[in-house]
Amino acid sequence: MKKLIASLTALNILVALLCLIVGSSGVFGVDVFLRVVSGVAKESDISIFFGVRLPRLILAMIVGASLSASGCAMQALFRNPLAEPYVLGVASGASVGAAIVYVLGIATMSNILISAFVFALLTSFTVYKLGSLARFRDQNYAILLAGIAIATTLSGLTSLLIYFSAQSMHKVVFWIMGSLSNPRWEEVYFSLPIAFFGILFLLLNSWNFNALLLGEEHAMAVGLNVENFRRYLIGTVSLLTASAVAVSGVIGFVGIIVPHTMRLMVGEDYRKLLPATILFSTIFMPLVDLASRISTAGEIPVGALTALLGGPFFLYLLWRR
Amino acid sequence: MKLKVENVTVKIESKEILKDVTLEVESGEIVALLGPNGSGKSTLLRTIFGILKPVKGVVFFDGKRIEKIEEISKNVAYLPQESSDTNLTVLDVVLLGRTPHLSGFKLPKSYDLEISKKALEEVGMIEFAGRKFSELSGGEKQKVLLARVFAQQPKLMLLDEPTAHLDISAQIEIMEIVRRKVNSGCSALVAMHDINLASMFSDKIIMVKNGKVVYVGEAGEVLTEESIREVYGADVRIKKVGRSVYVIPKTRVKRNGKIVHVICGGGSGRDLIYLLSEEGYSISAGVLNVLDSDWEAIIDVGGEFVEEAPFSPISEEAHEKNLELIEKADVVVLSNLVVGKGNIRNLIAAKIAAELGKLIVVEKTRFELRNFFGKQAEKIYEEIVKRARVVGSEREALYEIRKVLG
Repeated sequence: MKKLIASLTALNILVALLCLIVGSSGVFGVDVFLRVVSGVAKESDISIFFGVRLPRLILAMIVGASLSASGCAMQALFRNPLAEPYVLGVASGASVGAAIVYVLGIATMSNILISAFVFALLTSFTVYKLGSLARFRDQNYAILLAGIAIATTLSGLTSLLIYFSAQSMHKVVFWIMGSLSNPRWEEVYFSLPIAFFGILFLLLNSWNFNALLLGEEHAMAVGLNVENFRRYLIGTVSLLTASAVAVSGVIGFVGIIVPHTMRLMVGEDYRKLLPATILFSTIFMPLVDLASRISTAGEIPVGALTALLGGPFFLYLLWRR
Repeated sequence: MKLKVENVTVKIESKEILKDVTLEVESGEIVALLGPNGSGKSTLLRTIFGILKPVKGVVFFDGKRIEKIEEISKNVAYLPQESSDTNLTVLDVVLLGRTPHLSGFKLPKSYDLEISKKALEEVGMIEFAGRKFSELSGGEKQKVLLARVFAQQPKLMLLDEPTAHLDISAQIEIMEIVRRKVNSGCSALVAMHDINLASMFSDKIIMVKNGKVVYVGEAGEVLTEESIREVYGADVRIKKVGRSVYVIPKTRVKRNGKIVHVICGGGSGRDLIYLLSEEGYSISAGVLNVLDSDWEAIIDVGGEFVEEAPFSPISEEAHEKNLELIEKADVVVLSNLVVGKGNIRNLIAAKIAAELGKLIVVEKTRFELRNFFGKQAEKIYEEIVKRARVVGSEREALYEIRKVLG
């Protein structure tokens, strides 16, 4: 485990450096990089470095960590390996929020962010409420079903909104696909505190996740107040994913690919799995993002890339057994 | 720890699942909770553990009320009936039992690790510590979950069907482990399905039906044909084995109204009695010595019979009664019995049956080989054989009876 943590940390540094020196505007040589870091570089180099690449790297790490840690947590709560952070309807809620802003013609960066964030939270709250009010023996199952129902309704609504958004149609669609282009420091300031405290909460509850793995009755049997824990957990995951989606759009499958890869390496014990997942996500997400911005002359949405990776990964999980 | 449940009523969605339940478990006691599916056993355990809140009534642990699960779980361990599969290691699963005793960020210390390992030793699973839980067999999983319960260092254990889905040796092993734990100063309330296992391992039995406690007491007094018919709606026979009770289902056969009397003894009629009874004939038998295995068989199938004290010769009175039963019967069968001084009257009874023209003789071994009475008996037997149908086995006797009675 210590070895794994050390090598993941080393890889993190390596990937971070790679993302800072490689970009669509070209590769920084070592000399340029050193000059930028020491503050004596050309103005244009400095603005590319601090204005674009650094915030983009940080956002990628935040989004990756938020989605992966949330996915990992949801997989324990629902005791389902295919659970992901979006089961609470956050993605479809955020999409509606963003689309509305575009339709109204008030699409500034901060408007999109706030609208997506608020709609995402409202949606997951509704899903949770509907799920826990349902007369189901298994509350988790009810929440999952409510999530599917709400997400289906909202994606219909999103389609309508896209239809009515006329000229800005491609912008809405592009937003939904998920991308980290045009990074802003404001987005970092917004999402970093949420990510920090949210992920900290999940890490501190690693033991409780273990307790959930045998089933809720068993978790209660060892003294865990499952009802409360579920409430806090869903609240935290909603905040984490809502803020990730608000700054990046809908980037799928990260919440499944990353935790499962780590599960294969460290096993099911959440005291190891959760930290490993977070450390791997901050390698994985910037790397995929890097691929999305340098693979073509323009830029392809990173959400499309993760979805492309997601399919084969599922097949791998399917065939492994 | 002493558990006291007082007038507890529990409702789930306005339906009363438990009605005014009162019970006690003394420390050092295993109390078995028996009742059919849906009688409220699991609900009772969950209510005691604080997962469900009663609408009426109180649960006392050593005379104290404890409401919060976090607090209850420090002294009481609950083993639910179902569990999910997990890839956690066996040791990690057992470590979860330490949760109620962990403070702060809930990081188990080396002390907790020691307790968990000891718990694994108690259930004999220490060499499985590093294995994945999901890869174990049903019995092994159940033992690991028991170790999880032990790691909690409980004073009271609430076990919900810990032997469900297990094979017979695993069932016994699990119950023996529970017994050892209780003997070392703990108490246990165990919901069970297997009445025999319950009577073997419990100090007291509580029978519930439709959410109500209907019988409480020791196995020997509580488990009767009547109580089981009332609680489970099943017809059974009960045999006492040592201080426990053995329950056997009664086969439900339609009686055809025909009576077959079997003259037997010393185990020679046992197979015949069961065979004919399963065919639907009403059986009577005589004269039998008490505690003889033929005597047990006739009690089992519930027929009329004439008995004599163990190892005593057949009295005049018993012989007369036997003749009465022969008179009543449609067919009489003489089993392949051994004849001696004590039961020579059975041979005489058979001769009378033969004279009435309704005797079938089962001769599996030659009469000389089983005659310890002498010449006189041989003469009687010769007389009998002249007027009866002789067959070589119980099965043949059955075919013969079918022919005669249709």
